[in-house]
Amino acid sequence: MILEELAFLVIAAVAIVTAANALLVRELVHTILWIALFFVDLAALYFLLAAPFLGVLELGVYAGAVTILLLFGVMVTRKRIFAREAVTGIGPAPLLLAGLVLAVVVVGAEELPSGEGTVHAYAPALLSQALFNADGPWLLLLGLAMLSALAGAIYLVREGRE
Amino acid sequence: MSAFSPAGLLALSGALLGLGLFGILTRRNFILLLISVEIAINAAVLNFVYFAAFSGSSSALSGQAIAVVLIGLAATEVAVGLAIVLGLNRLRGSINVAEASALRR
Amino acid sequence: MSVLTPLLAYAGLVPLLTFLSFVLVGFLGNRLKGLEWGGWIAVLLSGAAMVVGTLVAVAEMLSPGQYTDVSYTWLTVPGSPGTFPNGVSLVIGFLVDPLSALMLLVVTIVGFLVMLYSIGYMHHDHGLPRYYAELSLFLTAMTGLVLADNLLEFFLFWELVGVCSYFLIGFYYEKPSAASAAKEAFLVTRVGDVLFLLGIFIYFATYATAGGGAGWAASGFKFANGTQPFLGPLVGTNTPLLTVAGLMILGGAAGKSAQFPLHVWLPDAMEGPTTVSALIHAATMVAAGVYLLAVTSVFLGFTPDDQFAIVAIGGITCFFAATMAVVNTDIKRVVAYSTISQLGYMVLAVGAGVTMVGMYHLFTHAFFKALLFLAAGSVIHAVGTQDLFKMGGLRRTMPLTAGAFLVGALSLSGIFPFAGFFSKDDILGSVFQAAQAHPAYWPFFLLALATVFLTSYYIFRAWFLAFGGPAPRDASLPTAHEGPWVMRVPLIVLSGFAIAAGFFVFDPAFASLLPGAGVPPTYTATDLGLSAVSLGLAGSGIALSYTLWGNGRIAAAPTGIAAQMRTVLLNRYYFKVGYDWIGRRAVYTVARSADFVERYVIDGTIRGFEKLFSRGSDLLRRAQTGIVSDYAGYVVAGLVGVLLLILYVGPAIVQSMGGG
Repeated sequence: MILEELAFLVIAAVAIVTAANALLVRELVHTILWIALFFVDLAALYFLLAAPFLGVLELGVYAGAVTILLLFGVMVTRKRIFAREAVTGIGPAPLLLAGLVLAVVVVGAEELPSGEGTVHAYAPALLSQALFNADGPWLLLLGLAMLSALAGAIYLVREGRE
Repeated sequence: MSAFSPAGLLALSGALLGLGLFGILTRRNFILLLISVEIAINAAVLNFVYFAAFSGSSSALSGQAIAVVLIGLAATEVAVGLAIVLGLNRLRGSINVAEASALRR
Repeated sequence: MSVLTPLLAYAGLVPLLTFLSFVLVGFLGNRLKGLEWGGWIAVLLSGAAMVVGTLVAVAEMLSPGQYTDVSYTWLTVPGSPGTFPNGVSLVIGFLVDPLSALMLLVVTIVGFLVMLYSIGYMHHDHGLPRYYAELSLFLTAMTGLVLADNLLEFFLFWELVGVCSYFLIGFYYEKPSAASAAKEAFLVTRVGDVLFLLGIFIYFATYATAGGGAGWAASGFKFANGTQPFLGPLVGTNTPLLTVAGLMILGGAAGKSAQFPLHVWLPDAMEGPTTVSALIHAATMVAAGVYLLAVTSVFLGFTPDDQFAIVAIGGITCFFAATMAVVNTDIKRVVAYSTISQLGYMVLAVGAGVTMVGMYHLFTHAFFKALLFLAAGSVIHAVGTQDLFKMGGLRRTMPLTAGAFLVGALSLSGIFPFAGFFSKDDILGSVFQAAQAHPAYWPFFLLALATVFLTSYYIFRAWFLAFGGPAPRDASLPTAHEGPWVMRVPLIVLSGFAIAAGFFVFDPAFASLLPGAGVPPTYTATDLGLSAVSLGLAGSGIALSYTLWGNGRIAAAPTGIAAQMRTVLLNRYYFKVGYDWIGRRAVYTVARSADFVERYVIDGTIRGFEKLFSRGSDLLRRAQTGIVSDYAGYVVAGLVGVLLLILYVGPAIVQSMGGG
């Protein structure tokens, strides 16, 4: 299916470009705009992979909530919202590490599966069954993690703490 | 029922992971650090979704389920991370992690 | 059998009594000023010990040859088949046989008399509780040694007498010369002790293991009662291992009895109180070496090569020590050299195979030598110096002491009918006989004979210098006077022994304590001739001495070669210098190289490691930046490493091992 291949290539290109831009631009607000684009792009990819529930989740949680949170963080910590970041150099150790990772990835590329795979679609109802399955109480665990994170976050930002 | 090459998908998630790592290792701004972590986590979530999609078995749905949990966890992590940002900012007037080197001692 | 026979089982009382004295005086002596700081307790208990010891000896005389052994096993190591079949047991016991009964008699009598004499002699000294406690402990150790029924117990008490000797030589420890003399005595005898221990090891290895046979060690190294020595069948032949063991025992005896070449410590040991010299370094402890040789020859046996070595050591020592006594001017040292010389006679006799003759001389010598020391002690006590050249004319102010010293001197010179005559003559006669069978003994017999002349010369030189002449040569000396009765009584008693002890052996009951060839001495025509020769030699020694020193004036210092000889003799043949040189060269060289190894090799390695780690940790410390990104980098690096390991390195290893 040439159309889907094409769509994937476009989406992948956009994902890489937006992610790279998010990390490389020097205004933090621009970074957040780019990362919002990145999240929307990923949502599109999920739709392409026949996972519409995840796509919606990505849009709602990432492109919506997380982006707003990050923006909020920038607003609170900056006097001028469009202030530019100072350029930071890259030391030899990260470069060496990057080279190493690149080598692993290049070598690992040979291990990638060739040929085409078929994308299977599932009804979202089945996903909800999986999520609420008593054998794997994913949502319960997630709820617990969020609750403790909430407590931790409140503790961290409490006033008058030194 | 559509079909396309999984190799590209894996390469994409590898590239995104690499970008995330690059950000984590080189950026000194805490918010950028958070964003880098998000990129890396999304690369991992993508892998779960891929394998769920390409696998024919019904138990593969647990891949999507894990993806859901991961998205939730990532959102939580951002919330906690921002709390840290606020605390750090109040404490030091800056969110440069190079200055927050209290771990040394 | 007699009524006294059951007493033989209680010989252990003797060391117990003196040990009681040690404990009482040692712990309570400081509060007993009225009792001479515990001295009278020591006198009382050593007197009791003397009574028991004498009774035991009498009981042994009344049942001749009785062998009474009371022993307790305190450790048993079971044997294992093969290399160690018999096992070994260690025992502590008290053995009364003729030999130990004789020694017990000597030790307790002399011990009591010296203890009594000490009351007067030591009266003005400080630290008396220490003195009496140590002397009591010495008596305990010495009687324990005498009564030991096995070689290990013997060694135990042997070491204990050594340490008591060390304490008592160093009694005036604030005097540097006394402290160093104590150390010297301890170290030199230590050389012998190590050899002795090696000898025990060899006997153990030979008789505890499969090849050795009879399981001597299994019975606890005990001196078994038998008609012939334990090694009986082997004694006549030169078995290399047994020869070496015998030489080791000889080494131990040479250390304790100050035999050549380990004689250097005894003259220096005269730094201790004179009473100590009389008891330990004349009558008892130094005789322990001879006793060891006697016990070994009776119960274990020596090989012919050993016997020759013993004869050689004894012969050389008796002459060699006598020459050094000839020029000495210190009254105690002259007597000390004569002790070494007389011990040489005893060793000579044991080596020549007439063990009991040697023990006979030990018996008489203990009395006349203790007498000489105590008389010398009286002189020193009265005039406050030991220098013979400063004394003179003392026979007028101290007639009793002069007489006692004269008796001792006559006995030492071997003049008829004093005790020394019989025993020394017996030795000369026996060695003369032995030399006819073993021509190699001749030179040592001749040395021993020459020593007779030297002995009478030097001891009478001492007598003439101290007691002869009109008045002290050094006018600053205090006017001499006799000591109190506690000092006079021992002199009289010992004089009696020095005159009469020689006759004892002609009583068959007493002679049963010395069951062996040559006792009592027989007087054939040859023996009489020999006696005449030795009497002649002794007489000419006295005559020469009288000619040179009889008028109480000091002869002009010799010149020429005689002066050189005198220097050599006064420097004791430079033995001490040589030992010091060996010590400095050999020991310091070893010590220096050990120091080098320690300082640079061992410490260097340790310091190297220390530098490695401190430098390395300095480097590693830089990795701890405290910056989160850097830690994340380490995590990623580790992850990559693990991935590489799992994906590539692991499979490569598995493949190279021929697996999967």
